Amino acid sequence: MAQISARAGAIPDDAYHTRLDAIARSPEMREDNITLPDAPAMKIAGVLGAVGVFSLLLVVIGGFVHNWSHALAAFEIGLFVCTAASLGSLFLVMIWHSLNAGWHVTVRRQFENIASLIPFCCLGLLVVIIVELIGPGHEGSGVLLTWLLDVKQGDHLVHHKSGYLNPGFLVVRWCVYAVVWSFLALRLRALSREQDRTGNRWLSRKMRFMSGWGLLITALTSAFASFDFLMSMDYRFFSTMWGVYFFAVSVLAAVSLASIILAVIRSMGRLTGVVTEEHFHDLGKLVFAFTCFWAYISFGQYFLIWYSNIPEETYFFIIRTTAQWKPLFVTLAFAHFVVPFVLLVPRVPKRSTLGLGLAGVYMLILTIADLVWVIRPMVYVDQPWAPTDPGVMAWWLDAAGVIGVLGIFGALLVRQIASAPLVPTKDPMLHEALAHKNYV
Amino acid sequence: MITLADIADYMPMIKRPAPKFISESGARIYGVVAEFADPPAVYHAAEKFRDAGYTKWDVYSPFPVHGIEEAMGIKRTILPVAAFGAAMTGVAGALLMQYFMNDWDYQFIVQGKPTSAWEPFIPITFEMGVLATAFTCIGGMLMLNGLPRWHHPLFNSERFLKVSDDRLIIAVEAADPKFDPDATRRLLEETGGTHIELIEDED
Repeated sequence: MAQISARAGAIPDDAYHTRLDAIARSPEMREDNITLPDAPAMKIAGVLGAVGVFSLLLVVIGGFVHNWSHALAAFEIGLFVCTAASLGSLFLVMIWHSLNAGWHVTVRRQFENIASLIPFCCLGLLVVIIVELIGPGHEGSGVLLTWLLDVKQGDHLVHHKSGYLNPGFLVVRWCVYAVVWSFLALRLRALSREQDRTGNRWLSRKMRFMSGWGLLITALTSAFASFDFLMSMDYRFFSTMWGVYFFAVSVLAAVSLASIILAVIRSMGRLTGVVTEEHFHDLGKLVFAFTCFWAYISFGQYFLIWYSNIPEETYFFIIRTTAQWKPLFVTLAFAHFVVPFVLLVPRVPKRSTLGLGLAGVYMLILTIADLVWVIRPMVYVDQPWAPTDPGVMAWWLDAAGVIGVLGIFGALLVRQIASAPLVPTKDPMLHEALAHKNYV
Repeated sequence: MITLADIADYMPMIKRPAPKFISESGARIYGVVAEFADPPAVYHAAEKFRDAGYTKWDVYSPFPVHGIEEAMGIKRTILPVAAFGAAMTGVAGALLMQYFMNDWDYQFIVQGKPTSAWEPFIPITFEMGVLATAFTCIGGMLMLNGLPRWHHPLFNSERFLKVSDDRLIIAVEAADPKFDPDATRRLLEETGGTHIELIEDED
């Protein structure tokens, strides 16, 4: 490493360690400012976990009482909020590493924590696959993935797409997603925590190299995962925008969740002087940017399908923009884009702890609503039931699914947050992040 | 902000008020400039001028000096407000225009879509919003900076011409209410300014 450290731009090792020591001695980096107390965190995690497990039991009961498609859809809505947040965090961490960004260092640990729960999300996806393939669905198999339904087996499109949409390949793809995502997320977290202990700055270089190829692979796998679990629920439907749409949802969910976490930690009196209003400002800009990006992508997708008027594509939107789903469609357009656009344009809400925390909660709720809009209409779509059927109206089941998965996810997340310092204490760019300022 | 007097300064047809300060050669005084050694020096000098209550003065530098806005006491620009207003005007104008043309004045069915369909209006609404915002930002930036202009009295100074190369300069204008040729020169000296120079203005 000696010859590398002699390169232009890199400061010598002794100067580097002097700087690290100076940062470590600064009042902001004192122990109680950058760690969470273990005991209360475990208590919160226990409560969240208990609520989550109880709600998931309700979902199983709902499966027996109403039908399994509905129960699975409720579970999937919650699961995809968590998967989106984890994948979005993984994206952001890798983007920041590969750009060698400075400002993000003090907020990065929270994104690493969210991303490191990807194995949990993959486990949830495995449950989805098992229920889809061998679960107690109607007509033998196929609960939400319509291409698995027995009655669809003679369909020309199912036959035509069977090279990709078949159970064996689905399981293989799940294995690839689980291995790639878990490896990247856990490795990036492990390297970052190793750097906390050793102060070895070359680990940052390692993470940057990993992020380069990791970004490419994660972009592809997350797009294909969104095809497999969301888009192909209606096997007739296809949209080339779908992967980008899911990316927009992912990063928005990640930034919203991280904003909530950081706002809560700051209001507990921790991270004073470490995560400042300047960092909140930048997170707020990301929330704002991805709200607009989501609107741009989802309108672009809707607009082209509306114009070209091809039956396989328009079917997706017809069931989601008419009858009982029309109010949700209109609500999403306004509440997911117009309202946050106007509220987040001024800098005041972005720079305040309370403002950004509320913005995070609001956008996370709207992300749930977005996924409800994508997943939930599929449940009763092919069945001649009246929209006032008690099963159709069983919103408690959807609430239980979302609360259940988010509860367990939250419990694991709180444990993750408490298990390490709240910032990467020996990151080579930490001094930049501590002095970060928006010069505008 | 631009005042009427500023505009009058650069419009020969408008008669300028009589000069408050006249140099030894009898010319109107534009202001005083001084050079500073390095960014910290000019930064701390700027703080002194801010605290002394000067309003019409500026720091010139070949590169951005971080935090100089606060050291100078510059308030945030109102340009974002103007830009937001322009964006909303563009959006509203585009929507009105399209509903007027497509749904009222000249109904014409394209591709069997309803004439009042909102979908095809969105891209044009977006573009009009962006266009209005961009024009307002560029035009507003030029206006707030007092641009374009043919000439600036500061270019009468030989040394000032080097400011885009390697000089850090503070210039205090005679139009400043607190300006006084001797007192301002003394303050520049106290804050570490060198090569202090009186700049003359054409009449």
